[in-house]
Parts: sequence; C-alpha cells; structure tokens
Amino acid sequence: MVLELKDIEKSFGEKKVLKKVSFAAEGGKAFGLLGRNGAGKTTSIRIMMNVFPSDSGEVLFDGKPIDYAQVQFGYLPEERGLYPKKKIIDQLVYFAELKGMGHKEAVSSVDYWLDRLGMTEHRNKRLDTLSKGNQQKIQLITALAHDPQIVILDEPFSGLDPVNAMLLKDVVRETIAKGKIVLFSSHQMNYIEEFCDSIAILNSGRIVLSGDLHEIKRNYPRNRLVVRSLQIEKIEAEYGGSCERSENGDLIITLGDPGDKGNAMKRLTERYDIDEIRVYEPSLNDIFVEYAGNQE
Amino acid sequence: MKQFGKILKFELIGYLKNKIFVGVTVFIVAVIAIVMFFPRVMELFDEKQSSAEGMTQGTGEEGDNAGELPLMLIVYDKEENAELLKEAFSAAFPDHQVRLASDLKEIKEQIISGYAECAIVLEGLTSYTYYVNNLSMYDSNTMVINEVLQNIYRMSAMIEGGIAPETAGEILSAQIQGTTESLGKDQMQNFFYTYIMIFALYMVILLYGQMVATNVATEKSSRAMELLVTSARPASMMFGKVIASCIAGLLQIIAIFGSALLFFNLNDTYWGSNEIIKSIFDMPLDLFGYMLIFFILGFFIYAFMFGAVGSTASKLEDINTSVMPITILFIAGFFVVVFSMTSGNTDTVLMKACSFIPFTSPMAMFTRIAMSTVPWYEILISIALLIGSVFGVGVLSAKIYRVGVLLYGTPPKIGAILKAIRKA
Repeated sequence: MVLELKDIEKSFGEKKVLKKVSFAAEGGKAFGLLGRNGAGKTTSIRIMMNVFPSDSGEVLFDGKPIDYAQVQFGYLPEERGLYPKKKIIDQLVYFAELKGMGHKEAVSSVDYWLDRLGMTEHRNKRLDTLSKGNQQKIQLITALAHDPQIVILDEPFSGLDPVNAMLLKDVVRETIAKGKIVLFSSHQMNYIEEFCDSIAILNSGRIVLSGDLHEIKRNYPRNRLVVRSLQIEKIEAEYGGSCERSENGDLIITLGDPGDKGNAMKRLTERYDIDEIRVYEPSLNDIFVEYAGNQE
Repeated sequence: MKQFGKILKFELIGYLKNKIFVGVTVFIVAVIAIVMFFPRVMELFDEKQSSAEGMTQGTGEEGDNAGELPLMLIVYDKEENAELLKEAFSAAFPDHQVRLASDLKEIKEQIISGYAECAIVLEGLTSYTYYVNNLSMYDSNTMVINEVLQNIYRMSAMIEGGIAPETAGEILSAQIQGTTESLGKDQMQNFFYTYIMIFALYMVILLYGQMVATNVATEKSSRAMELLVTSARPASMMFGKVIASCIAGLLQIIAIFGSALLFFNLNDTYWGSNEIIKSIFDMPLDLFGYMLIFFILGFFIYAFMFGAVGSTASKLEDINTSVMPITILFIAGFFVVVFSMTSGNTDTVLMKACSFIPFTSPMAMFTRIAMSTVPWYEILISIALLIGSVFGVGVLSAKIYRVGVLLYGTPPKIGAILKAIRKA
C-alpha cells in the first residue's frame, strides 16, 4: 500500500501555496510531514483527502489515481472540534456512519475504541463536559473507528499528559503494525523521530528534504564531536572559533574534515581528562531547523 | 445518497431533541388549547353565574346597574328640545348613561377627572363639539352623534314642511334590502386564514432560516467542520441540513395547526357564532395544497440562502449582520403582501410582479390565489420559476458552502466568494 503525491501545485488567489510537492508514504510505516506554520502541510493533507482539488499534479494509490470511493481516510485535524452539545456516542457513531459504516457496525466499533482508550464511562455524556485531553481522545476515535487504510494525525500529542501520550503511542504502534499508512504532522520532533521511518520537510510550499530518516541522518556530515570534560575551558581555548557549548554544557567541536575525527578523538583523550567523547548525531530538530528555518 | 440520509437523520434528530424546539411547540399548542377551550369554559362559568343570579334576582336595584355605565353629558341651551335630545341619545348609546348639563368649565373638569367619559356641546342641531379625555383610535361616537342629529334635524324639517310625523318617521327609517353574491373569491372570508398562513410562513422561514445559518456557523466555529469536510460531500451536507430543517418545520406546523383543528372540532358548537374563527377552519382543500407547495418551496429557497451565508461566517456573532440582506429582502416581500391584503386589492402591478419573483412568490402568489382569481397558467409559471430557482439556489449555495466552510477570519466579500466558486 503506497500513497503518493506527485507534482502537486495549488494556489489560493495570487498566492502559490504548493509548488511541485511530491512524496510517498508506505503501508506498515509511519511517515512524517514536517514544516513550519503556513508551510503548506494542511493544504497538502486536504488535497490528499479530496477536500478540494489541486491545480495540477496527482494523488496516486498503489501507482494508480486514487479512487476515493474505495480508499478510506482517518483524520485527526490540528484544529480539534466536534459537536460540544451532543452526546459522545451519538456523534462518534454519526461520523463512523458518514464514512460508510452500517449503524450496528459503527456502534460496536465505537464501543471498542471507547474501551480501548478508557473512555467508556463518558459514553453517554455531552462532549463539553470532558477535559481537553479526554476530548482529544474522543476526537482520535473519529479518525480510527471506521478502520481506514490511511490514518492522518495532525499534532496528535499536543495537549496530552504523559500517561495519555503513552496510550496514544501504543495505539499508533498497533495501527502501524496492522499495515496501515500512518501520516504524522507535528512540531514535536521527538515523537516523529520515535515513530517515523521516512519524512518530508515542507518549506514555503516546496519539499526541501525527503526520504528515509536513518539515511538522511547517515548522510549528514559526521564532522562534529561531543565532548564532556572537567577541563572544558582549556579545550575550548585550544579549538577557539570551531567549537560551541550545547545547552547541557557539553562542548561541540566542528572539524574541518570528517576524516579527522579519529585523530582528534585520540589526541583529546590523551591530552585532557575526558569523561565522554562521541561523534555528534544530528537530531531531527537540527535537520528541521536547518531546512525549514529560513522561509522564502 | 446514503450519506445524505445519514446527515438528514442526524440533523432531524438534533431538532427533535432540541429542548427549545420541543418547548416552543408544546407552549404554542397549549396556548391554542386555552384559546380554543375558552368559550366552553366561559359557558360553564356563565351557567353557574346565571343560576346564582337567578337566586338573588329581585333584591338588586336597577339604579346600581345604571351607575356603572360611563357618563355622557349633553349641553343644549334650547330648553324645550333638551329632553327630546336626551332621549334620542340614550337610545343611540344604550351602554352610556346620558345626562343633561350646562356649565362647560365644570364639564371639562369632570371629563378630565374621569367622572364623565365624554360630553356633547350642541350649538344647534347641525353643529356640536365633542369633548373627551383621551381620544381612542376606535372612538366611533361622533359618527353615531352625527347620525342622531341628522335624523332629528331631518325629522323636524319634514314636520315643519307639513309632512305627518308618522310618515316622516317611515321615510327616515326606510330599510334597503341588498344581498351580495361573489362569483370569484370572498375576500372577507379568505382574509383571516390567508393572513394566518402568510404570517406562519413568515415566522417559520425567518426562524428556521436563522436556525440553519446558526447550525452551519456553529459547526464552523466549533471546528467540527474540519472533520466534516473530509467526511461528507458539501452538497450532501447542505441538502441534508436544509431538508431536515424543512421536515422539522413542517412537523411543528402540523403539530400546531393539527391541534388547533382538533381543539376546534372538539369545541365546534361553542364557536358556532364566531364567523372569523369559523372561516379560518373552513379553508378549501385545494388552497391547502397550494399552501403546502409554496410553503415548502419558499422554505427551501430561503433556507439554502441562510445556510450559504452561515458558512461564510466564522463566528456566531457575525451571523446577524451576514443574514441581514436576506432578512430585509424577505421582510420587504412580506410587507408588500400584507399591505395589498389590507388594501383589498391583491392584483396590483407590484403584487403581480412579486408573484413571479421566486423570493417573494411563495407569499405573493399564495395570497393572490387565496384572495382573487388567478389564471391557471400564471400559477403554473410561478411554481415552475420557483422550482427552478430552488434548484439553482440550492446548487449555488452548496458551492458557496464548500468554499465558505474553510474560510476563517472576517466574512469574505461576495465578489471573493464568487471568484472562489468559479475556480472550485
């Protein structure tokens, strides 16, 4: 199962929102769609889900133009909201039915998910009587109850306490294990790093980086060392401009040539009292800031 | 189609579970019940009272009764005719106590203090001044006074001219026999139920139109729309909502008018003498059919517009200003119809034009059918135009809805929406 966006372009009025956007998400894996606010993530998702058409380009499912009558999407929008004054069970069943489920089927599926997320006691309450985190869990059910092939989660972890975040992580892992396509959109890079095998970074409507996350990291120049030592000032004095302090006080030394790192490590351990020394692995955060930091 | 059914069901249940909707319906039915059972209950009381009065009859003084009637003072300086005038006025105003008086200043004070209700100061048989404290809008006393004085003047003139008093009396009291047969519509009879129907149409369209607009804007402001647009087609959403509100409106009307009809039939005999009430329930069946047609079509055309406007507002507060143009259009149509109804001529050029314009034809054409004779082809053209417009407005509003629901911020200008629709 592969969902693919190919050369998607979209303008609103004079403003070009998407410029030749292409990426592919595979079944059984999680895909991270990253980008700053206004980069075009939501527009890409809406085009993917056929809320409005693109100006050019196509959405493919398993290599063929997608048939929206066949492929089901589950969507957790970033802007959360359901019917605040209606009973939870009523609206969850309604949304599952809108997605094509029969009534009985919808009720049993919703009941399963209410139980799975520990929300059964709230089944017959009005939505606005629930806390924000619990409302979010209810909203998550609308994305999962109709058993869609593709699940799109926009900022799924925002507003959840650590216990609920754990619960959601389990649910996401289960969903991935079922072979579904899971598409994440988030600013919380740690969650993306935890789940996503491949990513695409959008900047001002253009894909600036995409591919397998491990590969991206591996291809990143490995010319930096992280050093922890009590003699950090001396080392800093020796390396001068080519080093900087990280937030937790470690020293990060940038070498001119990645090939030097063996020698540099050897020299440092011989001359100073070193507690820890390792090659710096770029975090997704670093990658994101580098690629999405400057908006055109 | 399946989706449309689900939306329709969900929205309709939403209406029927709405406490305000149910409450208002029950309240109106209760009010109608009270009104309809009123004569029956009154008669029960009357029976008790009259039997009680029967017991005490004979002990009451007649003077008591006269003392309760409002006082009417007469000032006439020709003594010899004053008594005659008093008798004539007493006969003409049986619900007034007529008394002779002389001092104008005192009379004015008595009227202001409320001791006397009014005074007639005669300068002769053909001229007088009528004094009253607050002149009521419906005060018809001067008309009666004119008639009384005219009769007296004519009578005395005839007697002076040598005609015997009996003959003069006969001449003056000659009655003309006339009967009217209406070959078309009887406006007198049709007026009340037409008025009620037009008013019901007016109330329901404004009320439910607002409800549809609010419903859409609520979904938008609560952001349920974010999910809905990815779950259902905009056309299904729009038609589902509008048709659900139409069914809810019809159910409410059937509940109200049905219970009114039921209560009327239960109390039929007690209303026997009331022509107005009888005429309301005497509505011909074909007119009822027309009412249903115009009602549903008129409802649709406005509900679609209200829904489309609701989709362009992102906050509930914006609704009132956004729907203003539609409301004004509708109220203008309503006033044209009501004015022509009260003027008695429902076939003016303006009314004829209005009865073909889809936004006013539900009220205007129905009124013309009810109160005058309209050729069948005119009715057909009007209904055809209306049906065509309902579909046109429906499709257009679904398109506006599709564009509008994803727009947040200040309500967009009409031009911007139309541009977006053309692109979509």
